Amino acid sequence: MTASEFALRTDGVGKRYRKGWALRDCTLALPAGGVIALVGPNGAGKTTLLRLVVGLLAPSTGTVEVLGHDVTASTPQTLSRVGFLAQDHPLYKRFTVAEMLRFGRACNLRFDQGLAERRLAKLGIPLDRRAGTLSGGQQAQVALALALAKRPDLLVLDEPVASLDPLARHEFLQVLMGAVAEGGVTVLFSSHVVHELERVCDHLVVLNHGRVTLTGDIDTLLAEHRLLVGPRTATDLDRAGAVVEAVHSDRHTTLLVRDGAIPAAPGWQAQPVALEDLVLAYLRRPSEPSAAVTSGVAA
Amino acid sequence: MTWLIWRQHRTEVCVLGLLVGMFGIALLVLGTQAHDLFPGGPARCAGEAGVNEDCAASFRRLDEEYGYVENLLAGFYLVPVVIGAFLGAPLLARELEDGTWQLAWTQAVPRMRWLAAKLAALAGVTVMLTGMFTAVLTWFRQPFDAWEGRFQYDAFDVEGLVPVAYALFAFGVATAAGAILRRSLPAFGVAFGAFLAARMSVALLARPAYATPLTTMEPVPVGGSMDQAGHRPVPSFADWMIEHGYADATGRRLSWTEYYELEAAANRAGTNLNQFLHARGIQQFEIYHPADRFWTFQLIEAALFVAVAAVLIGVVVWRVRRRIL
Repeated sequence: MTASEFALRTDGVGKRYRKGWALRDCTLALPAGGVIALVGPNGAGKTTLLRLVVGLLAPSTGTVEVLGHDVTASTPQTLSRVGFLAQDHPLYKRFTVAEMLRFGRACNLRFDQGLAERRLAKLGIPLDRRAGTLSGGQQAQVALALALAKRPDLLVLDEPVASLDPLARHEFLQVLMGAVAEGGVTVLFSSHVVHELERVCDHLVVLNHGRVTLTGDIDTLLAEHRLLVGPRTATDLDRAGAVVEAVHSDRHTTLLVRDGAIPAAPGWQAQPVALEDLVLAYLRRPSEPSAAVTSGVAA
Repeated sequence: MTWLIWRQHRTEVCVLGLLVGMFGIALLVLGTQAHDLFPGGPARCAGEAGVNEDCAASFRRLDEEYGYVENLLAGFYLVPVVIGAFLGAPLLARELEDGTWQLAWTQAVPRMRWLAAKLAALAGVTVMLTGMFTAVLTWFRQPFDAWEGRFQYDAFDVEGLVPVAYALFAFGVATAAGAILRRSLPAFGVAFGAFLAARMSVALLARPAYATPLTTMEPVPVGGSMDQAGHRPVPSFADWMIEHGYADATGRRLSWTEYYELEAAANRAGTNLNQFLHARGIQQFEIYHPADRFWTFQLIEAALFVAVAAVLIGVVVWRVRRRIL
């Protein structure tokens, strides 16, 4: 792959606040095209990573390269290729929706006002209402329309649906996936909910305690991991270093292994693992510097 | 950007503009009437208060009819601070409060260009509003200045260049405090407090030391403060008196206790105090800044406050450039 085929490449990126490190040793190479989910519990460093990606923050260590350009350079050209929807979708509360669109037109190079107006009309959001008086779901839709009208090559969304009710969440994801289907845009979004990811995402990054613990193409990750269920045993089973997690119940031991397609030992039953269980297993692992596991990108 | 800045800050600009306009018109009306008391213009009466009959009458009427306005105006040295802090505080703080900095700085306008445009526009409005207000106030005070000089706190602090510098100082403090505290209202408070502290210490400690004050030393006259030739005593009313007192024949300054002892001795001896002091070679000394240093002092003080404002704006620019927000 050449540099521009990566939507995002980070090399040894760390970010330290006064309180301590929010993100450490983050090395990623995410392909352009498709939808990338950034998953992790609250406080894992997701917002910090996304702000680094869109250039709102500067990394304390390492480099961040978006669409082949160093983001800290932030020229109008590089800025216009990346759209960002921050957490809680901030808008200028006292602007009308029409004024928000005018803001977008005034501050961007290739702003498609007609596109934004059509999207908002389809959703029945009136242009003369003040942004602050709209419902949370409508505000999120206005912010999304604004970000999409930039015609970005990479759209970054920070917990886009976390504050929305189920109906608004559904509508939001529908619009977002519609935009992806229209083509051209790579979407990177963060979430602390693992539920439903499989349906919408192609690529996964798991972040925990400020470190990347798992990253890869979702189909590849699911093919590589298996659950092995056998009689309860306390002996060390991890001879090959392939056991991600061992769970012992009264009579059984369940192992999550990453061993490709090696046949199971006698007495053991192999099962495919659900994405949610896979992510949870990696989130439960104690954080250690060498825990990052990469897959899928190199393939 | 122009439209965006106007849309975001039009409320503050309009409120301040209205305020300045209302006060300005009131001062213009009252000032025209006050100026009319001086047929040849107030400047002609400067220093003539005790000599020229007409001027003395004009000054008396000025004091009777407009003295209250002058007293009110003493509080107006805070107007530039309100203007500067009101425009500076929300510049970054409101974006940080509402999270919209993430919106503003991810459009195609680089953040340094965004910041430069905002700083230039709002500092420009600050200078313009304060400048207009100060111009009217300086003109209004002309009759009063002719009488009292321009070095008193209620004149020096509201006239000429320093009000604009005060406003820029408040603008700088409010912007920097807003960037650090991330809240508009506390930033406004910080700017206000910082100005009061800075202005008080500058007016009391730094301002008298902008230049070496002049000293006059002359024997106590026999007949009173004005000698027979009738020329005005030096320093005049318009000069800025720093200190005055008495010294003995060798020029050693007397403490006020020593002076009161002499006064008591004169009383015991039953002689006229001035003659008593004159006979002993006691001299009067006065330490003062002459009135013509007004603009020099204005320039120095304005430069001082503008320099601090520039440093604070530099801090803001540095923080935004380094993305420490």
